[in-house]
Amino acid sequence: MTDLEFLLFVPACVCVGAATGGYLLSLIVKKVQVARVSTWILTAGFVFLTLGLILAAFSAQGWGGFGSRHLLSVYAWAVSGLYLALQFKTRTRVLGAFIAPVILVFLIVAAGQGSEKNLIPPAWQGWLTVAHLVLAIAGEALFVLASAAGAMFILQNRLIKHKKTGSMIRFLPSLSDLDRINHIGLLGGFVLLTLGMVGGSVYAAFVWEGTWASDPKVIWTFSVWAVYGILLHQRLAIGWRGVRMAILSGTVFLLFAVSALVIRFCLPTIHSFI
Amino acid sequence: MIVLVGLNHKTAPLAVRERLFAGCQDLADLPADLLSQGGVREAMYLSTCNRVELLASVEEDSGAETALTDYLARRGALRREEAESCLFLYRDEEAIRHLFRVTSSLDSLVMGEAQILGQVKDAYRQALAKNATGVALNRLLHRAFRTAKRVRTETGIAANPVSVSFAAVELAKKIFGTLAGKKLLVIGAGEMAELTCTHLVGNGAEEITVANRSAAQGTALAEKFHGRAVSLAALDEALGDADIVISSTGAPSYIVTEAMASRCLRKRKNRLLFFIDIAVPRDIDPAVDALENVFLYNIDDLQGIVDENIKNRRREALRAEAIVTEEVANYLNWLRELEAVPTIVSLRSKADGIVRRELEKAGYWLTGLPEDDREKVEALVHGIVNKILHAPMAVMKEESAEFASQDIVAAVRQLFRLDD
Repeated sequence: MTDLEFLLFVPACVCVGAATGGYLLSLIVKKVQVARVSTWILTAGFVFLTLGLILAAFSAQGWGGFGSRHLLSVYAWAVSGLYLALQFKTRTRVLGAFIAPVILVFLIVAAGQGSEKNLIPPAWQGWLTVAHLVLAIAGEALFVLASAAGAMFILQNRLIKHKKTGSMIRFLPSLSDLDRINHIGLLGGFVLLTLGMVGGSVYAAFVWEGTWASDPKVIWTFSVWAVYGILLHQRLAIGWRGVRMAILSGTVFLLFAVSALVIRFCLPTIHSFI
Repeated sequence: MIVLVGLNHKTAPLAVRERLFAGCQDLADLPADLLSQGGVREAMYLSTCNRVELLASVEEDSGAETALTDYLARRGALRREEAESCLFLYRDEEAIRHLFRVTSSLDSLVMGEAQILGQVKDAYRQALAKNATGVALNRLLHRAFRTAKRVRTETGIAANPVSVSFAAVELAKKIFGTLAGKKLLVIGAGEMAELTCTHLVGNGAEEITVANRSAAQGTALAEKFHGRAVSLAALDEALGDADIVISSTGAPSYIVTEAMASRCLRKRKNRLLFFIDIAVPRDIDPAVDALENVFLYNIDDLQGIVDENIKNRRREALRAEAIVTEEVANYLNWLRELEAVPTIVSLRSKADGIVRRELEKAGYWLTGLPEDDREKVEALVHGIVNKILHAPMAVMKEESAEFASQDIVAAVRQLFRLDD
């Protein structure tokens, strides 16, 4: 990581940290205005992150030369970008209280990672690998968004069901908006993850010709992809939605995240660069 | 002096308010009529279903307060004892505080309601159009509007609904986000259901279906909202299409059972469904509330929200009163400063006159000076006079803010012979 990259990474972390604090404060004081200011701070963090990644891409001569810190920053960038894009369409600023902490965790973990380049073996670097990575990361970022909306849905649903109609109920977004975000997140995430997996499979089959099918990460991702597929089918065909979908999608995502960490650090995998 | 005479829902029964309301409505040029009362400089009147009040700026000791009180009693054909028990008379600080409280909706029947501000604004516009207001009332009314705005933005007095039907609308918005395009099913054709339906339609709900035992009543209600009427036998089908169901029949048993709600959920693929049961005895089986994606609120639940919101408004009213007190103090300061203003103006103009005359006298040697030097001499003279006058003028302003300017103003007028 160059000095200039570091100069952009630090303010990005500070902004995301401040936005997280702001969003959590907005939950306590129940003021949308505080969440709105936090969204602007998060936007500033996103700009710093974007500039840092552009700079990194130039100095690494493409995504193929990215280190672990960069790749985790890309996760944070994708989640915050998708969340901010959503703010143009819906008025769900408060959702940031569940999204910003996830972005902050990505950045904290990224800060603890090595910034050396070329973690992806040079032999594997190419446009297909980049497409595989970008699509998979964007898909996973959408799952984060879906899970956060689902968690907030569960909270709001509980408040309305139990007739706890205090100031919190007014502060949180409507159930319908949260359910829609959950669905868009799942649908978009599934499509992007599918494309990402196809990209990786094509690369592995025709370019690399290695033994990718027995890789634990591949097996696990395929399983999660299949479960998400079933969930989507149930929603579209049978009408699973609302609190059931929120619980299931959140559980699947948690399993996905925990197992990804276990595979990354405990099992031999060709995906050890992420 | 500012005076406020009138009656409201707290001091007068409806029959008296009606009489006075009608008496004041009859008069086309009421502000001019008020100005014709002895000692009244500026005046406006406010008339709503809950209050009739006259606000005026009057001359001290002119008997204008009594004239205005008698005037109101005459207009409302109030008997002496009615006038004594119903009419109130406030002067200066009390009058200003009362006006600010009324405009901020702290004195309203439903505290925090927004309508009163518009009514005061209308009353002010009418008085303005008749040239019945001047510097005192113009400033006072603008301060009142400012106070009302501060109360609305800085406190939560108007934040939450305090009627059952509005509470239902707010809940529906928290479930569906927007009510635009949402389908309504009204079971029974009661007044309360109609009122709730009106609020929901006002917020964007569309496609009203009325299911009622009596076809004629159901059709009549459906026509009001350009909807359609169905019989209770077709309830199962109607439930499947609806997003919001309002029920208010007089039926002795449940009209919507858990089995019916489960069937309709399957049909609508578990889309969110909101039941508002305002019937006593209840129309909708409470077990329906346990179903996923279904929300059931009965009259007690809604009344509970309203009670809680009323409590919140009362808490917020304490903060609002503090704002009113602050604004009353600001206005009184301005009013008191006004007492010293004529003397300050006279002193200033006397000093300017002296300077002008003395410069004219010195004209024969001033004209001999270069233009630059002449301007410097004139500036020097003005500067000296300003410095001398600054202290007495500042003291008069300060003392007027403390209610103690009368003696000083009198002394200044005597010392500088301003009344000669």
